[in-house]
Amino acid sequence: MRVILETKVRPKPFLPIEAESIIPRNFLKGTDLTVYEGNKERALSEIFWIFVEGTAVSPDKVEVVLKGDTARIKRVGEYMDTGIIRIAGDIGMHCGNFMSGGLIEIGGNADAWLGREMLNGRIFCRGNAGHYCASGYRGEKHGMKGGSVEVMGNAGDFCAEYLTGGTVHIHGSCGDMPGVEMKGGQLVIGGDATRPCGNMKAGTCMVFGTVHYMLPTFRKTGTQVLPDRKVTMDVYTGDVANRGKGTLMIASRAHFP
Amino acid sequence: MTELLVKNACVIDPLNGILLETMDIPVRDGKIVSSVSSAADVIDARGCLTLPGGIDSHSHVCGTKVNFGRYMSPEDMRAGRTARRGKMHVTSGYYVPTTFGNSYRYSTMGYTTVLEGAMAPLEARHTHEEFTATPHQDMLANTLFDGNWAIMESVRERDFKKTAAIVAWTLAAVKGYSIKLTNPGGTEAWGWGDDLSSIHDPVPNFNVTPAEIIAAMIEANELLGLPHSVHLHCNNLGKPGNYRTTLETFDLVPDKNNARQTLYATHVQFHAYGGTTWRDINSKAEEITRSVNAKPQIVMDMGQIMFGRTMTMTADGPMEFNLYCLHHNKWSNHDVELETGSGIIPVLYSKKSLVNCVMWAIGLELALLTKDPYQCLLATDNPNGAPFVKYPEIIGLLMSRRYRDEEFATLHEGTGQRTAIASIDREMDWNEIAVMTRAGQAKALGMAAQGKGHLGEGAEADIAIYPIRCHAVDPATEYRKVVEGFQKTMFTIKRGRVVARDGEVIVEGANSTFWVNPSVPEDLSVRNDPEFVRKFREYYTVRMDNYPVQDVYLPRGKCIRTEGAL
Repeated sequence: MRVILETKVRPKPFLPIEAESIIPRNFLKGTDLTVYEGNKERALSEIFWIFVEGTAVSPDKVEVVLKGDTARIKRVGEYMDTGIIRIAGDIGMHCGNFMSGGLIEIGGNADAWLGREMLNGRIFCRGNAGHYCASGYRGEKHGMKGGSVEVMGNAGDFCAEYLTGGTVHIHGSCGDMPGVEMKGGQLVIGGDATRPCGNMKAGTCMVFGTVHYMLPTFRKTGTQVLPDRKVTMDVYTGDVANRGKGTLMIASRAHFP
Repeated sequence: MTELLVKNACVIDPLNGILLETMDIPVRDGKIVSSVSSAADVIDARGCLTLPGGIDSHSHVCGTKVNFGRYMSPEDMRAGRTARRGKMHVTSGYYVPTTFGNSYRYSTMGYTTVLEGAMAPLEARHTHEEFTATPHQDMLANTLFDGNWAIMESVRERDFKKTAAIVAWTLAAVKGYSIKLTNPGGTEAWGWGDDLSSIHDPVPNFNVTPAEIIAAMIEANELLGLPHSVHLHCNNLGKPGNYRTTLETFDLVPDKNNARQTLYATHVQFHAYGGTTWRDINSKAEEITRSVNAKPQIVMDMGQIMFGRTMTMTADGPMEFNLYCLHHNKWSNHDVELETGSGIIPVLYSKKSLVNCVMWAIGLELALLTKDPYQCLLATDNPNGAPFVKYPEIIGLLMSRRYRDEEFATLHEGTGQRTAIASIDREMDWNEIAVMTRAGQAKALGMAAQGKGHLGEGAEADIAIYPIRCHAVDPATEYRKVVEGFQKTMFTIKRGRVVARDGEVIVEGANSTFWVNPSVPEDLSVRNDPEFVRKFREYYTVRMDNYPVQDVYLPRGKCIRTEGAL
C-alpha cells in the first residue's frame, strides 16, 4: 500500500506541524489521523491531499510518501517500527525519533535531531542534516543505540553525540564536536570535522577529511592501512581524559603504500 | 463565612488520641470547630480513612539547587508530562518536576504542608518565589547555617547569645523557619577543596569543630525558643563507616525542650553505614536505632531510597563530588559566599547494585527498629532517595512483611548478609503510619501549635480522605490496596476548601509561607553590633540593607513571633 501525502497551501506556512502520527503502522486502519499545527489539532486531511494506492495486510507493506513543502513538519516517523517513509523534499526536526525499524528516505535536507535516539532501522538522507544528527536528546546519556543513518551531504554540530550503537555515515563534513561522548557504534565522516570525539568512551570514529582543532587528549598508537579505500589512517586511542577507550582514526597525510 | 461538614469520616488523629473512630468534622472559615449550621456543604467520607493533611518534614522542592537540577536534566522533563486541564497548569518532570507538578502530586497524595530542606540565605528570594508557585502546600524553609562565617566566629568565641542574635537576624531577614546544618563545617572546608572526616576536625581558617557548631546552634535554637529544633544533616554522609560519626553526634544532644525533640537528624539512612569501603558496606541501623530509642530528644527521618532514577541535591558539596567520582556523570557544584555551598548529580538506584540494596534495607530497618514512631518519620529526602511519589510504596513496605519479603527476593543476593531486614517481623499499624506522615512531623516541626498535623478544635482544616476502609483491609496481605489508596485521596481539603478530588486538582491554590521572627533585645541585635556590620560590608557582595527578603516575595507570609530566653 502506498499513501501519498501532498501538502496543501496553508494560510500560515511557517507554523510548525507536529506529526508523530505519520508512521506506516497508523495507516493500516485508514487515514483518520490528527496532527498539531501550532497548538491546534488538525485532521490529516486539513494539511495534506491524501492519495491511497492499493491495500496492505501488515504494516511492513505500507509506504508513506510525503511531497510538497514538508520542511516544517516535525517528528515524522517517531516510534516507527516498520514500513517505509519516503520524503521527496526537506523534512523538519526530529524525523525518525526513537525509530526501531523500517526505512526513512529523505530526498532533500533534514533539520536537526534526525534519528535521535533511534534503536534500529535505517535512515537515508540525500541532502544535508542539521545539528544533533543521530544523537541523544539534551541531557540524555544514551543516544542512538542501533540501526544506521546515512547522510550524503554535510551534518551540523554534535553529530552522533552519545552514540551508543549502530552506524552513522556522513559523506560530507561535520560541524563542531561530532561523536562527542561516544559510547559505542561507528561514526564515519567522509569530509572534515572539528574537535571530534571529545570524552569518547568506546566505539570507532573515522574521519577521511581534515580534522580541525584536534583535541589534545588523544594518544596516537599507530597507523592502519585501509586497502579498499586506498588510504592510510592514523589511529588514536579514545579520550584519555576519560579512561582512554575507543578509537579515533584520521586519514593520514602519509601516502597510501 | 464558609462552612463544611465532613461526614462519616473514619478518623485517626494521633495527637488527639483518636484511633479509627467514625465521626463528623465540622469546619468553619478554614478552621475545625465544634459544630456548623445545617447550611454547611457536606462531604460524605463514606467511612474512609481520614487523616490530618500530610506534612513532609524534609523535601527539596523549591530554590536554586532544585532549579539547577531542572536545568541539568532536560531529559527528565520528558517524563510525567500532563497537559493543562481545568485549574491545573501544565506540568512535566518526574524526579525534578516543575513547581506545579510537585504541588499537584503532593496535593493528590494528601500532603498540605512541606518543609523545604535547605534554603541558602543569600538565595532566599528564589526559594520564596517558587514557594508562591507551589500553591497547594503551606511552605516552611530550613535556613542553612552550616558554613556561615559570622556564626562560626561567634561559636569560636563561645558567645551563644551572639550566635542566637545572628540566627535571629538571618531568619527574620530571609523569612526562614528553622536552622539547618548540612555537614556543618564540611561545606566551608570544601570551599578550600577539603572536607572534614570527623566532628572533631577543625574547620580550616576558623578553628572550630562541627561538634562545637552543633552544640552552639542547639543552644542558640533553644535560647530563641524557635518552634523547630536544629535540623541536622550529619557529617560524613554516604561514607562507609559513618555510623560512628552519627552516634557521636547524637551523644552531643542534650534534652532541652519539653514540647518537641532537641535535634532533628535528617535522612539518617545515608548516615548508618558500617564497613570501611563500598565493598564491605553493611547496615548499622541497629546501633543507630538503639541510640535513638534511648534518647527521646532526637527525631530522625528515614531518608529511604527507592529503586529507579533520581537526582541527588544537597548543600553538602564535598559529598556530591565523591559521588561524581563514582558515577562520572553530570555534576554541578556551587558556592554561596560566606554561607554554604551545594552539589547536584543524577543517580540511578539499581537492584543489581549491592550498595543500593543495602541502602534500601537500612532505611526500612531504621523505621522498623525505632520503637516510638514519633522518633522516625517517613521521608525520602525527596528527590535524593526517591521522588516523594514513592511514599505510598514505603507505607506499604512498612505495613506488610510479605511485601518486604517479595521485594527482598528481587534484590542483590548479598543483601541478606549485610542487613537485618529479612529478620524483622514488625508490621506498622494505621496509627503508626499516621504518626510517621503527619503527627510526628507536626510535633518535630513545632507546627501543632499552628494547627497543623491534628484535627482538634481550632486546628487548620487540612484534611486528607483516602479511599481506604481500614476495617475491611488487611494491610499485611492486601498491601496493594494500601499503596493505591495512599496514592490518590478521595478529597484533599486545604484550609476548609476541597483542593483535590480523586487525584484531580480542582482549584487554584493559595498557600502560606510560615516564617519565624524571634525577638531579640535591642542591645544584642546584630544590627547594633559594629563588628558584624563592618564585616558584612567588607565580605558580602550585597549590602546589609539589601539583604533581607522584601515582603513582596511572600504574598501570603505568616510570621511566627517567638519569645526566647535571651
